[in-house]
Amino acid sequence: MNNGRANKLDGGKLSILSNRLGGICRKMGNTLLRTGRSGVLNRAKDFSCCIVTRDCELLTAEESLPIHVLSGPDLMARSMHEFHPDLKKGDVFLHNSPYHGDSHPADHTLLMPVIDDKGIHHFTLIAKAHQADIGNSIPTTYHGTARDVYEEGALIFPAVKVVEDYKPIDDIIRMCRMRIRVPDQWYGDFLAMLGAVFIGEKEMLAIGDETGWNLLHEFTDQWFDYSEQRMISAIKGMKGGTATAQSTHDAIPGTPKDGITITSKVKISPNSSTIEVDLTENPDALACGLNVSEACTRTSTMIGIFNSIDNSVPKNAGSFRRIAINLKEDGVVGIPKHPTSCSASTTNLADRVQNSTMRAMAAISDGLGMGEIGCFCPPSTSVVSGVDPRTRKPFVNQLFLGHTAGAGSPFQDAWMTMLHAGNGGMCYIDSVELDEVYTPLHVHTRRLIKDSEGAGRFRGAPGIEVEISPVNCGMEAGFVADGNINVPLGARGGGNAAPSDQRLKAKDGKINKLEQCSQVWIEDGETLISIACGGGGYGDPKTRDPNLVLKDVSEGLISRERAKNVYGVEVSADLNINEVETENLRVKSK
Amino acid sequence: MLRFACDTGGTFTDLIVEDETGCLSMYKAATTPDDPIVGAINALRLAAEDRGLDLSDLLKEGEMFIHGTTHAINAIITGNTAKTGFFTTKGHPDILVIREGGRIEPFNFKVPYPEPYIPRSLTFEVPERINSNGEVITPLEEGVFLELLDQARDVGLEAISVCFLWSIANPVHEIRVGELITEHLPDVPFSLSHKLNPALREYRRASATSIDASLKPLMTDYLKNLTHRLQSEGFSGKTLVLTSQGGMIEAEEMASAPIHAINSGPSMAPIAGRYYAQLECDEDSLIVADTGGTTYDVSLVRKNRIPKTRETWIGQSFRGHMTGFPSIDIKSVGAGGGSIAKVDEGGILHVGPGSAGAVPGPVCYDMGGTEATLTDACLVLGYIDPSYFLGGEMNLNTNLAREVIEEQIARPLGLEINSAAASIVSVATENMVQAISEITVNQGIDPAESLLIGGGGAAGLNSTFIARRLGCPKLLIPVTGAGLSAYGAAISDLTSEFRSVFFATSDNWDAKGVNNNLKTLEARAKEFIDSAGKGSVSSKIEYTVEARYAGQVWEIDVPLRDFQFGKKYTLEQLVDDFHEVHNDIFAISDPDSSVEMVCWTAAVSCQMRAEDGVRNVTFSASDKSDERRLVYFDGHGELSTPIKKLGNIVTGKKDLGPAIVETPFTTIVIDPEASYQVSENNSVIIWP
Repeated sequence: MNNGRANKLDGGKLSILSNRLGGICRKMGNTLLRTGRSGVLNRAKDFSCCIVTRDCELLTAEESLPIHVLSGPDLMARSMHEFHPDLKKGDVFLHNSPYHGDSHPADHTLLMPVIDDKGIHHFTLIAKAHQADIGNSIPTTYHGTARDVYEEGALIFPAVKVVEDYKPIDDIIRMCRMRIRVPDQWYGDFLAMLGAVFIGEKEMLAIGDETGWNLLHEFTDQWFDYSEQRMISAIKGMKGGTATAQSTHDAIPGTPKDGITITSKVKISPNSSTIEVDLTENPDALACGLNVSEACTRTSTMIGIFNSIDNSVPKNAGSFRRIAINLKEDGVVGIPKHPTSCSASTTNLADRVQNSTMRAMAAISDGLGMGEIGCFCPPSTSVVSGVDPRTRKPFVNQLFLGHTAGAGSPFQDAWMTMLHAGNGGMCYIDSVELDEVYTPLHVHTRRLIKDSEGAGRFRGAPGIEVEISPVNCGMEAGFVADGNINVPLGARGGGNAAPSDQRLKAKDGKINKLEQCSQVWIEDGETLISIACGGGGYGDPKTRDPNLVLKDVSEGLISRERAKNVYGVEVSADLNINEVETENLRVKSK
Repeated sequence: MLRFACDTGGTFTDLIVEDETGCLSMYKAATTPDDPIVGAINALRLAAEDRGLDLSDLLKEGEMFIHGTTHAINAIITGNTAKTGFFTTKGHPDILVIREGGRIEPFNFKVPYPEPYIPRSLTFEVPERINSNGEVITPLEEGVFLELLDQARDVGLEAISVCFLWSIANPVHEIRVGELITEHLPDVPFSLSHKLNPALREYRRASATSIDASLKPLMTDYLKNLTHRLQSEGFSGKTLVLTSQGGMIEAEEMASAPIHAINSGPSMAPIAGRYYAQLECDEDSLIVADTGGTTYDVSLVRKNRIPKTRETWIGQSFRGHMTGFPSIDIKSVGAGGGSIAKVDEGGILHVGPGSAGAVPGPVCYDMGGTEATLTDACLVLGYIDPSYFLGGEMNLNTNLAREVIEEQIARPLGLEINSAAASIVSVATENMVQAISEITVNQGIDPAESLLIGGGGAAGLNSTFIARRLGCPKLLIPVTGAGLSAYGAAISDLTSEFRSVFFATSDNWDAKGVNNNLKTLEARAKEFIDSAGKGSVSSKIEYTVEARYAGQVWEIDVPLRDFQFGKKYTLEQLVDDFHEVHNDIFAISDPDSSVEMVCWTAAVSCQMRAEDGVRNVTFSASDKSDERRLVYFDGHGELSTPIKKLGNIVTGKKDLGPAIVETPFTTIVIDPEASYQVSENNSVIIWP
C-alpha cells in the first residue's frame, strides 16, 4: 500500500466526493425504510446510517437522527477493532452495548468494515435502527425503572460478529429468535439493516476502485480540515461568554423525589474558536433506566451546540475538534459503568442535557440557543403489545401516534413535529389508518391543544392530545413520560409550555391519572389519554410581531385572552388588531 | 388530418405537429405566463406560417390537440388557488397540519414549519366515524353537517375537500356529504377522497383531495377557455390534456379531477425516451434526464415499464405538500444552465440550487446577472458558440463570463480559469448524478446496465460526463430532445389506469377473489377502449400488483404475467417474481416470509395511429459549414475541436471525440475519451 499522500484535492473535487459519500448514506437509509418490517422502522423511520473512517472518526451521517450519530459510531467502531483486530471482507458486527459506544440497547447497530480485495480495511459502514423489541424483561424498549441491566433484561451485543463472508451466523440469529418478542418481525428488520450495509459496501468498494483508496483517505483528511475551518468561522462570529443552565427531569421510581437536575456549563471562546461544555457537576448514576450512555451524553451536548451553528457546517470529526465536553465517570449523564441501566438513554435525560446546553447558549447572547424542546415519551409514543384478536398472533411495536415538542428559536417559530430534542424532527408520525390496520387499536382523537405553546418572540409548538383504545382485546402500553412537573422552559424571556399528562378513562367514563412511568394494561372499552407537551418560546412574547399573534388566534392555536394577556395584542372578535390598545398593553409591560 | 402536441413549459411553449404521413415538425414560442393560451396559439401560428396556411386553415385540419400545462402547479406555487374548506372526521382536525412528520436538515432552525394546505380556520369537523373494517362506529350527523355547510357559505368558500377516515373501506358518509353539498351549495365544486384517491394513509388522501378541490374553479375556467379559443379559431377536434401518470384524458375529465394536471408535461419525457430507445437501441432500462434552465428532471424506464411513485412533493420534501397521488416517478433537483456557482468561506465550490433563471439569466446574457453560472462556465470552456446560442437567437458575451468566473471562482479556488470553469461543470454534473442515483436506487435500476437519454435544451453540455460517471454504457440525445415532453405527447398512446384495493396473501390465497377483482378491472379497461379509445388501431391492457412482505408498509410493483390465476399462471410464479423484484431493488429477499398483495392495477393503452415507419422530425443539412475552435477538456487542456452541424454529419458512421455537435435547439459536447455516431433518425449516440 502506498502510504504517501495523494495529491491535494481542489474545492470542486472535495465537493463532489462529499456529495457522493452522502449519497451512499441516503441509499442505505432508503433501503432500511422500505424493507423494514416493524412500524418503528417502516412507519416512523427511527434509524440512521453513517460512514466512519479507518481511524474510527465520523465522516458523514447524512439525514440521520442526530442523537444516533454525532458520537457513538466512532466509539462503536473502536470497540469493533479492539475485539476483532483481524477484520475480514464480508464481516458484519452486531452492536448494542451502551458500555462500548452504542446509544442504548434498543438501537441495534450493524457495523460493516469496507475491505478491499487485498484485505485492507478502509472505512466502516454503520446502520443503526431502533428495534420494536429487544427481549427486555417487560415488553418495552424504554425500561425506565430498571434497577440495572439485569432487570432491564435485553441481550447485550458488544460488537459481536453476526455475519461472516456475507452470510448470517445462525448461532446468533437463533439466540435472538429465542429472546426477542415476535422473532419474525425482528429477523425481517435485521435483514433490512443487512441490506443497507451490503448496499453501502458495494458502493464504497466501487468508489475505492474508481478513485483509488489513497485519494479517498486524502479526501477525508481535507474534508475534516475544511469542516473544522467552517466551525472556526462560525464560532468566531459568536458572542463569547460563559453561562450555566439547568433542566430537571420529573421524578420516577429510582430517582430522587424532586427528579433529576442536569447542569450544563457552556463557555464560548470566539478568540480560540472553541466551545467547551462542562457536565461534571451532575449526580451519580442512579438505579433506574434513565442513565445516559457516553455516546448520548456527548451527542446531546453537541446537538445543543450545532442547533446554533450555520446548518451548512458539516457535522463530522473535523468540526467536532472545536468542541470540548467534560464528562463525569459513572455520572447519571457521562460515562456509565456496567451494569448501570441506560435503557432510555437516547431520550429523557439526554434531552435534558441538550435543553440545558441550549438555554445556557441562549443566556450568553440573543441569537443563540433555543427554548426547551418538549419531553419524551408520552403514551402516544408507547410501546404497545398484546395478542391481535384478528389473527391470534402476538404483536409488539412502538407507536408514533402524535407528537409536537418543537421550541422557539432565535429566528423562527418551532418546527412543530420535533418528537423530542435529540430526534430533530426526523421521525415520521404514524397514519391513524395504518396503525388501526396493523394494531388492534382505535384512535378517537388527535388534535393540537389551544393555548399550550411556550409563548415568545418566536413561539414553541402547542401540545397534542391523543386518545386510543384497544379493539376487541386488552393491550399493554409502556411509556416513560416527563414534563408534567418540570415543563419545557422558554429562553431569554420566552414562556414555558403547558405540562404533559397521562390518564386512563374507564368504561364508566371516569378518568384516572396514571403514573408518568407506566407499564399499563388497558382493557377493551378503556381509553388511554395522552397529553404530550409542546416546547418553550424564545424571547419576550410582547415583542412578537402582532400579525403573527393575530394569525395564531385566527388559526385557533391561541385564544384572544391569551393574545392579550401573554402577547399584549388586543384582537377583536372579528379578528382585527386593535393597534392603540396593543400599544398600550405593550408599553405597560415594559 | 393533423395532430398537435403542445407543452407549455416555464420558458418555452413547444409544439409538435404530426401530419397524415407520420411526419413531425417542431416549433418553439415564448411562454406567456399571464395568459398561457396565447403562447400556445403563437406556436400554432408558427406552424401555420411554416406551411403557408392561415391559423384557421391549419386548425381545421386538426383532429386532436394534446396539451401539457403548468397552469395547475403554478397556481399552487403562487397561492392562487380557490378558497377551500377541509371537511374531516371529528377528532382529527390536524391531519393537514401535522402531516406525516419528518424533516430534512435537522440542525436548520431558520426554515419555517410549513403552513397546512388548508388552514385550521377553514377546517370543519364532521361527527361521523367508520373503522378499518368499514363498519359505521358513529353515524353521520347530517344536521351538524348542514350547520357547518352554512358556516362554509358565510365565509365564502369556493371549493370543498372531504376526507373522512376509512372512507376507502366504506364511502357511505362521503357519498352522502357529496349529495348534501350538491343540494345545498350547488355552485361550490367539491372533491371526495375515496373517489379521487382510494389509498390508505389519511394525510396523503386528504392532501390529494384538498389540492384537487382547490384547483377545480381555475382549471375548469382555463380548460373551457382553451377549448373555446381553439374552437373559435377553427378547431373542431378533441382536446386532450396530459396527466401526471403519463397518460392523456379529455379536457372535461381533467376539469373534474385537476390534480392529474400537476405534472402534466414532464411526465411525457420517459414516454418519449422509451420510444427513442426502442427505435435506436436494444436497452429496456433507461434513465431519461430533462435539463432545463433551472431544474433537472430525471425519470426512468425499467424493463419497458415506467415506474410510478406515490410520494410526489410540490416543493421540497417535508417542506412542501405531498400530492399523495400515484404519478410517474420524477426526481427534480435545482440544477440547470442557470445554476449559480459559489465558493464558500472554507474554499469549497457549490453549484446550485440557486438559479439565475431566465431573468437576469447567466452573466453572459448581459441582462444584469452578476453571479457565475453553469452556462457561463460552458461558454468559457468553448462548449457553446456565443453567436449560435439557441440557433443564433441570442448573442452571448464571453468576456463577461470570463471575468466573473475569474473573480468569483478561479481566484478563491487558486485555479486557472479553465480549470475553475471545468470544476463548475464537474460539481453540477455530480449534483445531477446524485439526483439520478437517488431515483435509480429507489426503483432498483442499475445505471451500468441502462441507457441514458439526454433531453432538454442544456442536456448536451454535460450528459457525456454524467453517463461516464454513472457507468452508463451509452448515451442517446434525440433530435427532438429539446422538446422531449411535447414529442412524448405526440407519439404516445391514449392511456388510462384502473386501480382497485383487494387484500390477498400468499399464506391464505384466495384465487377466486383475486380473479374476480381482476375481471372487474378488465371490464373497466375494456369499457375505456370502447369509449375514449374508439377508433384506435390497437389496444392493450397490462396488469400489475403492489405487493410487500408481511409487516412491510411500502409496496413494490410486480407485473402480472396474466390476468387470471389458474393452472397456467400460479401463485408460486407470482411469489417468485416478487422475491426477484425485491432482491433487484433492495439486494435482499426473504423467501420464507409470506407476501401480501394490496392494490391491483390495469393499465390500458390505445394506439391511435398505425405504425407506418418512424415518427420523427425531419432535419435538413445546415447552410452553416463546419469549423473548429479551441475547447477546454478536463485532463486534456485546450484542444482544437471540430464543430459540426447535425444536418451535415454522415449518419451511421462512428467517430472519435473531441467534437461539438450543434443543432438549432442544443449543443452536444463530446470529449476526447468518448466516441459518437449520428443515427438514421438524427439522434446522436455517444459511448462515454
